[in-house]
Amino acid sequence: MKQMTTRQYVTIKGTKDGLVLRLDDKCAYSDLLAELRSKVAEDELEGLAEVQLDTGTRYCDEDELKEIMNIVHESPNLRVSKIQSDVVSMEECNRRVLEKQSETYIGIVRSGQVVQAKGDLVVIGDVNPNARVVAAGSIYVLGRLKGIAHAGANGNTEAVIAASWLEATHLMIADQIQLMTDELTILSEHPEMECAYLHSNGFIAIDRLQELRILRPQLSSFKGGS
Amino acid sequence: MGEAIVITSGKGGVGKTTSTANLGTALALQGKKVCLVDTDIGLRNLDVILGLENRIIYDLVDVVEGRCKVHQALVKDKRFEEGLFLLPAAQTTDKSAVSPEQVKTLVENLKRDYDYVLIDCPAGIEQGYKNAIAGADRAIVVTTPEISAVRDADRIIGLLELEDIEPPKLIINRIKQQLVSEGDALDVNEITTHLSIDLLGIVADDENVISSSNKGEPVVLDPANPAAIGYRNIARRILGESVPLMSLDKGRTGFFGKIKSIFSR
Repeated sequence: MKQMTTRQYVTIKGTKDGLVLRLDDKCAYSDLLAELRSKVAEDELEGLAEVQLDTGTRYCDEDELKEIMNIVHESPNLRVSKIQSDVVSMEECNRRVLEKQSETYIGIVRSGQVVQAKGDLVVIGDVNPNARVVAAGSIYVLGRLKGIAHAGANGNTEAVIAASWLEATHLMIADQIQLMTDELTILSEHPEMECAYLHSNGFIAIDRLQELRILRPQLSSFKGGS
Repeated sequence: MGEAIVITSGKGGVGKTTSTANLGTALALQGKKVCLVDTDIGLRNLDVILGLENRIIYDLVDVVEGRCKVHQALVKDKRFEEGLFLLPAAQTTDKSAVSPEQVKTLVENLKRDYDYVLIDCPAGIEQGYKNAIAGADRAIVVTTPEISAVRDADRIIGLLELEDIEPPKLIINRIKQQLVSEGDALDVNEITTHLSIDLLGIVADDENVISSSNKGEPVVLDPANPAAIGYRNIARRILGESVPLMSLDKGRTGFFGKIKSIFSR
């Protein structure tokens, strides 16, 4: 207990984004939990405060993260809003790499066929009615999209669907679905070079392809140039 | 060694059987030795359209199960010397009576004796379809200028592309020129762009097709009939004659030009 007073394993910092609980990444996990528990208990905040956890270079699996969060939540005043870490497992890393990758399908996706991608999906050809294209990332169709497209299938709300000719029967982004009924008359008038994205109002919106630059600047992975 | 061509569509009632009968007859008229195989077990029609219904003794299932030899089951069309034969489907059982492997063996055998083996496929994408395509080297997809038929054609083309056969070719059947020019029906270009496969030919809608089918005389036997001309042209294309399919655009304009001249007559 003497050591705990000399060196702190848990430090609380106030940043412009709120409170950050910095958890030491060198000490023993059990010591960290013990100190965290006492820190949380002595905390004298009023009202509800959102805190971010920063585990540094300590790798915590899901159970451990849950354990840490449970300790923080023992205080009625603290809520964990986000967990930051400088390290990820190889598995997680591979998954993220796959999500960043883009897969290319050349050909016509015909009625009844399903084309799936773990990352972005580029279709060079048409997607015919009753055909389905699904991607964890965004979907880009160099051709006519006349079937069903589901972007951000794992919940990525930033994903978009872009097509040379956007005439889909159903558009889905993350868990939102949009039936392409006659109400979206803008579609039938100008289906050329359009993109669909999840608007901040929670619904799928459609705009000119050129607007993507402003709507989703983070999609660009291009570096350099002059 | 001949060639086996399956005629399929997905949707029912677009004219698979009529096309099979007429293309077979047209190829026989060109002096080829043709065998038509009806794989629509349980709902056979090809024999009726050819007018051979009352001459059936054995059928496809009898051959597959070894109750007779292939040549015993083949029904000869007497309008042709030795040019046109039919292997009828069984009517008293269903599609599960034969397996794709059995049909494949059967078709392989027939290909030795005939220039062309045309396989009439049943509607749908189940067992009957799988049987029909098993022995085929090429596929012809029949559609009509209706959205429902084009959708099903799209589905069937997708399935055919998974098979180890040549890319399928398209026949657009029952084109009503009046509806197309008024913009009430899909036109040929729209359909071929949507399906993006090679067009083998188009057949005009003609009421004589029905009356001649009822009489058991394929319409293609009447050289003046517009639908017959469509089928004869397709047969010549199958033989690699006439309108070259290689340069599609030129071929198409030439072909459409012909069709147009028929209508303007």
